[in-house]
Amino acid sequence: MRRMTKTNALAIGFGAVLFCAAAAAQGLDSSMLLHPPPDSWPGYHGDYSGRRHSSLTQITPQNVDQVALAWAFQTNQTALLKCSPLLVNGVLYFTVPDNVWAVDARTGHQIWHYTYPPNKGLHIGHRGVGMYKDWLYFLTPDAHLVSLNAKNGAARWNVVVADSNKGYWTTMAPLVVNNHVIIGVSGDFDNLTGYLRAIDPETGATQWQWNSTPPAGTPNMTTGGMTWMTGTYDPELNLLYWGTGNPTPVLQGGPRPGPNPYTCSIVALNPDNGKLVWAFSASPHDTHDWDAVETPVLVDGDFHGAPHKMLMQTSRNGYFFVLDRTNGKSLLTVPYGPVNWSLGVDPNGSPIPNPKKEPARDGRLIAPDEGGLTNYRSPSFDPKTGLFIVDAHPSYGIYFTKPADGTFGWAGADYGVWGKGVLEAIDYETGKLRWTHELGPHGSGAGVLTTDSGLTFSGDAEGNLMAFDTANGKTLWHAGTGGEIASSPITYELDGRQYIVTSSGGVLFAWALPKSVIGNEARFRIPTGSGTQ
Amino acid sequence: MSFCTAAAALLVSAALLHAQTPATIPLSETQALQRAGRNLFGQDCAFCHGKDAGGGETGPDLTGSALVAADVNGNKIGPVIRQGRPDKGMPAFHLSDPDIAALVAFIHYQQHQSELHPGARRRVDVSDLQSGDAEAGKRYFNGAGGCAACHSASGDLAGVARRYIGLKLEQQLLYPSGAKAKVTVTLPSGQALTGTLNYRDEFAIGMVDENGWYHSWPAGAVKYKIDDPVQAHAELLGKYTDDDIHNLMAYLQTLK
Repeated sequence: MRRMTKTNALAIGFGAVLFCAAAAAQGLDSSMLLHPPPDSWPGYHGDYSGRRHSSLTQITPQNVDQVALAWAFQTNQTALLKCSPLLVNGVLYFTVPDNVWAVDARTGHQIWHYTYPPNKGLHIGHRGVGMYKDWLYFLTPDAHLVSLNAKNGAARWNVVVADSNKGYWTTMAPLVVNNHVIIGVSGDFDNLTGYLRAIDPETGATQWQWNSTPPAGTPNMTTGGMTWMTGTYDPELNLLYWGTGNPTPVLQGGPRPGPNPYTCSIVALNPDNGKLVWAFSASPHDTHDWDAVETPVLVDGDFHGAPHKMLMQTSRNGYFFVLDRTNGKSLLTVPYGPVNWSLGVDPNGSPIPNPKKEPARDGRLIAPDEGGLTNYRSPSFDPKTGLFIVDAHPSYGIYFTKPADGTFGWAGADYGVWGKGVLEAIDYETGKLRWTHELGPHGSGAGVLTTDSGLTFSGDAEGNLMAFDTANGKTLWHAGTGGEIASSPITYELDGRQYIVTSSGGVLFAWALPKSVIGNEARFRIPTGSGTQ
Repeated sequence: MSFCTAAAALLVSAALLHAQTPATIPLSETQALQRAGRNLFGQDCAFCHGKDAGGGETGPDLTGSALVAADVNGNKIGPVIRQGRPDKGMPAFHLSDPDIAALVAFIHYQQHQSELHPGARRRVDVSDLQSGDAEAGKRYFNGAGGCAACHSASGDLAGVARRYIGLKLEQQLLYPSGAKAKVTVTLPSGQALTGTLNYRDEFAIGMVDENGWYHSWPAGAVKYKIDDPVQAHAELLGKYTDDDIHNLMAYLQTLK
């Protein structure tokens, strides 16, 4: 007490300075992106690794059945929430097409709401914003990048990043790396070049552009290779990892014979100049719309006894890939569900497409269907168990094309036949499924989050949000959410309380333990020593 | 200058004028409606039905839809938009009458366009699905496919080729829509109830009884047995060759 009194004068003197410093530092410090503190979720994947794994441990397999709703936020939109919110300095930022909200992460009340003017772009979905210092970066259906003031949602500048009249649109959450805002583009209904572009966060000027395919009309060459999901980043190697989409024309491979670089690929780029360092082909000659844009998950660990810097992807085409991310060399390629379109795997680890399974006039039955064995919702890697956990979609579809369908855009037709949802826990060293958990007919759209306490969060086909025991996949808790879950969960800790934030339909939910339970847990918690989470 | 050439020249100049000064050419009411409908369609419908209404990842091609062809001023399309098709995954859209009129105008316009440019459309015609061998299909039906265990050409499938044609028949063949599963629920008292399966997840089971009443129970509190005839179709998907499917299609098309 006396010691505190002695320092009071000093504290008061410093107090004003500290308060000012704190008030001025409301923006996103770049070190936060490299090492996100537990009270933040500053990028689409949380950290740069794409593991969607949290070190938070307040919610455990033992107490998760007491988790309850902390708050809900109604967007009052018909569009589904398909984004991952950002959490920076106690404020959540999230989106649907044409809309951004800033919401208090403690209470769920709205701070501001930005709406973009009506436009003709494809309103297929939206994955969220990126943040740099005091600014948010928001892509629009008509392919503009808007910089918003994070304090009040005021637009600072707006630049065109692709020509929506040609058929481009944008949905992805920009990835901020150093002073680069990295954006990708979408567009499957026209023969267009896919690209990644780095934008100056202050001015909106283009810093570099990397094209995944040559210009339309290049003889015997493909177009496509869209870049519509947020990539990952390794700061030590200074490499950006990105998945690219399918080639175009989509279902008709004739005009683009042989391998179609760099479509359906995982690429490593230098984030400072956009130069390609390596590329791995997930589908060398895709004719089924299987974008390889699923999260390139970065994991450091042993692979069959030797340490590796790895990259793992459960790809839409049905294959689980483990690569050495320093050079793109394959460590493992194995299907993680029904796959009937390949003749095996080539020496580089790429599947070999079976020409007899290309779409045809009288139809070909293909596993998986167009939606793929998984899609944009995130998987999660749990380091303790070595499990790569994915919301899988075993499925079949029928694919057609004929000369009359032409060679532009879709150039064929395909229809889903049957599918279901299965949560799969993949042993990353073998590709074997250590456990599976059925999620219901047609499939679930929920992504996956794991935590250090041994919990996995995801959802089923009926809109139940569920918590599983990561070790064995047993259900430990659930809550019916009343809508389709089409996003991936995030987690953070504020005021000593761990929140899980999920969505269904147009509603965002925050879940937490009741404060009474947290008090008891804290009283009996055994100090871990490091105290870091 | 012939009349045709003059007309063509006029058309060209009108088109150029239109491209350069769109604001000065008043749109017809129909064009304005179609334009509004295109915007609405892009926002609400294109995700499933494709931006040109030609079909997408999860929604059918509306330009080839029999319902669209039969529609007059929204009398068929309007109710589908308003009520959705929950059994097929289409939600209800709470749109105003003018918005629905705009969507209807756009869908009809796209259907008309698709007829003008058949090569640009992606669609499966009945004639595309004629590559199979009906005799081989019949052998598969009665033999390796195991279809005859549940179906009969003279019984449930008699006249199936009249009820479904083309792609729809093939989709029904692969995985029938609308077939309901039966469920028998045994309560802790030993009482057994049988009805149509209505809802099932890991936590609850729901059914509609023979009188049309809905019942549900916590999944762990009762025993239940589901008889889902469609499950056999899902199991066949991993066994068919493409020829098997084409041959079955040829055989089913003989069952008129």
